[in-house]
Amino acid sequence: MRDRVPWASSWTGIAGGATPALVLAGALVAAHAVLFADPYGLRVLTVAGVYALAVIGYQMIFGKAGALSLAQGTFHGLGAYATGIVGSQLGYGFAVTFPVSILVPTVLALVIAAPVLRLESHYFALATLGIGQVALLGAVEWQGVTGGSNGIAGVAAIELFGWRPGRGLPLALFVWALVAAGAVIAWRYGRGWRRLAFPLMRDNPAAARALGIDIDRLRLETFALSAAYAGAAGALAAHIQRVVSPEVLEFPVMVTILTMAVIGGRGRVGGAIAGALLLTQLPEWFRGWERGYLLLYGVVLLAVVVAAPWGLVGALERARRRWLPERPRPLPVPVDPGPRPTPPFRGPMLYVAGLSKSFGGVRAVDGVSLWIDRGEILGVIGPNGSGKTTLINLMTSLEKPDGGKLYVRGVEMTGMPTHRIARGGVARGFQMASLPPDGDALDAVAAGRAMIDKDPSSAAAHALHFLTLTGAADLARTPCSVLPPGSRRRVELARALARQPGALLLDEPAAGLTEAEQADLAGQIRSAAASGVAVLIVEHNMPFLLPLADRIICLDEGRIIAEGTPDAIRRDPAVMAAYLGPSHPEPAHPGPA
Amino acid sequence: MIVAQLLVNGLALGAAYALVALGFVLVLNATGAVNFAQGDLVMAGGFLAVALAGSLPVPGIVLLPLVMGLMALLGLAVSLLAYLPLRNRPPVSVFISTIAVGIILQNGVILLFGPEPKAAPALFGATTVSLGGLVIPEQSIAVIAVAGLLILGQHWLFARTQLGRRLRATAQDPEMARACGIPVTAMIALTFAVGAALAGAAGLLLSNQFFVTPSSGAGLILKAYIAVTIGGWGSVAGAVTGALLIAAFEVVASATVSYSAATAALYLAVLVILTFRPQGLFGEAAGARA
Repeated sequence: MRDRVPWASSWTGIAGGATPALVLAGALVAAHAVLFADPYGLRVLTVAGVYALAVIGYQMIFGKAGALSLAQGTFHGLGAYATGIVGSQLGYGFAVTFPVSILVPTVLALVIAAPVLRLESHYFALATLGIGQVALLGAVEWQGVTGGSNGIAGVAAIELFGWRPGRGLPLALFVWALVAAGAVIAWRYGRGWRRLAFPLMRDNPAAARALGIDIDRLRLETFALSAAYAGAAGALAAHIQRVVSPEVLEFPVMVTILTMAVIGGRGRVGGAIAGALLLTQLPEWFRGWERGYLLLYGVVLLAVVVAAPWGLVGALERARRRWLPERPRPLPVPVDPGPRPTPPFRGPMLYVAGLSKSFGGVRAVDGVSLWIDRGEILGVIGPNGSGKTTLINLMTSLEKPDGGKLYVRGVEMTGMPTHRIARGGVARGFQMASLPPDGDALDAVAAGRAMIDKDPSSAAAHALHFLTLTGAADLARTPCSVLPPGSRRRVELARALARQPGALLLDEPAAGLTEAEQADLAGQIRSAAASGVAVLIVEHNMPFLLPLADRIICLDEGRIIAEGTPDAIRRDPAVMAAYLGPSHPEPAHPGPA
Repeated sequence: MIVAQLLVNGLALGAAYALVALGFVLVLNATGAVNFAQGDLVMAGGFLAVALAGSLPVPGIVLLPLVMGLMALLGLAVSLLAYLPLRNRPPVSVFISTIAVGIILQNGVILLFGPEPKAAPALFGATTVSLGGLVIPEQSIAVIAVAGLLILGQHWLFARTQLGRRLRATAQDPEMARACGIPVTAMIALTFAVGAALAGAAGLLLSNQFFVTPSSGAGLILKAYIAVTIGGWGSVAGAVTGALLIAAFEVVASATVSYSAATAALYLAVLVILTFRPQGLFGEAAGARA
């Protein structure tokens, strides 16, 4: 138990100031266990440790990756069965059964990941619930191996190389030592660039992909890790209960884990431990209620989700922030990362040929070919629904093209996943500047460096350099949620430039900006182009675009209907017809102001 | 002969499943939210019928309006407590809050009735009818008829009445509906009530022949979900079709192998479908709001 104290302080230090209350609570629980707890109290504490382990794992897939898995109870049950079968039926000891119990659910997670991890949130939740039901049916029906509804009795006590943690205090300490180890691993895993990647991935997966973050891989990792933790917890549960029955696979286990994670604080390692400690104690306070404690879990879960979704740890932090205002984190010294080495190539920076995409019979983009040279600014205009945003989505693989080719820096990247194209040198901005919901502007820009600098402090130093370039250095410690539109654009542009891209694709960057802010933005885009970046801008705002662009393409119904210098485009009859209908004599937008 | 027997059984089961899926898809369309408690609402409806039958010794058909009315009230409560406070939060909040509602229903029922399976009274009687040499339980025919009428009634309510137009407008575009003066919040609460009433009816219909246990909810929500997935996310007609398909599969597979194997095969089949067509067999009808 005492192992938790240094861990807790270092973790909370990273997460924005220590929470002395949590450390104190941990110390009190430890003191209680060592000094006063009776055998029954120690047993409850041991069970709490087992759950804590399962919930720490669950925080990865559910809390950090943001996918509502309903298979954590199943993974836990499989761990228990693995220990029961390999230990009790085949006679192996803890040194074998424990790793096997971790391995079995992990392998299952990797196997089912292929169909389920691609699914949208609700499909994913139900698919994982379905897998749990199949596992439960299997445990009941496959009597020769699982013992059917009776389960497996006589699971041996834990014995590791001749050492046997006795019931009571030694067992509680053994379990909590594993919890501490698991917590440290989970904390280390969630640190560094992943700390920046996870919130963005939960809130806006497309933006995360466009920053070169491989979300699919992160989902797979967190899913497998969560299964491993659940398997370890299941193994310990089997040793403590001494029997394994289908109950370990039933939904109440999942309910308990989910409730602990939500009540403790979603995504927080400390929350997992706090939730596990609290919710294993809760039924003890309502003894004689039989399974009524689950009813209570339901009520508490509903109340927390509605009234305090930040959970116990979040509530403590809020209280602390209220009474002890946070000292602002010191800014790093801005560092220019210098140019990134890129392999030499000939031809345009970005080149697409015959790109096409249909949505249910409507040809949104129809055989579009274009190129952008180094340092060139290409404007893309066209009426609403002419396929401009779809074109950018195709060029970044957020939509899969039906046909056509894409070359970045002379390398063919057709059909490659978004994060690969991003790493190949394409950065993009979104119509709605998509900054992470929590965290400050510096964090947001540092996320752009997450895939380039593997070490967070140099990512922050480089990020501040690019914030300075876009004139937003004074916003570094401003929370993204309170930034006004003009500042959001600057931060987003800084993030895109921080990736030091070869090509920069911007979707209506001037929308919602004042004229002064537009002029400022135009200046920054010009200087980015001057440094060699190929820029593509989709824009409706002609007074902004025409003086800025070197060349303009006009789309209508998914096709290029005109291409030329801004001057030529302004006078092009096809462009006027597309905007105003064939008979109109005057252009829609009067041109440069 | 056996085929005809299976057909009747499958149709009765499918008709009841269709009510479950219908309630689920109506709420989905109105709110974009997935109501995980739908299966537990069915279970609660079944136990409500059991409880009412204990004090009112009348046939199920008399209890039906009572069960549906009380369940509609429960549906209102669910929308007030678990949906409306969370409507502007990420969808995962509503998943969790409706899971919490399911937990409360399931364990509340265990506290009140115990964990054993119970049976609700038959709609009319427990006799069988002979039809051209075929022996059919009267209950099966009654279930098909009652469920069919309820599905038609729901269709009539939504397609032909002023209220239905408002409900549909709310489902299609809540902002626009509000701009047109439709009380959107009340419409959403009403949709939850209709969904819960249909779940209650399904509970009463299912829990005579197939019994009801407090833990039935998980299986039922999965089937509703699968029906909606097969039928096209958000499609009302597709949900009914999907429910009939699932029931047919279950009846045939149970007759040839075992019920457990049938259920396992069903879930695995859906995983395979989702692997190759993540948008469902017939495409998505609802937008990406969920």
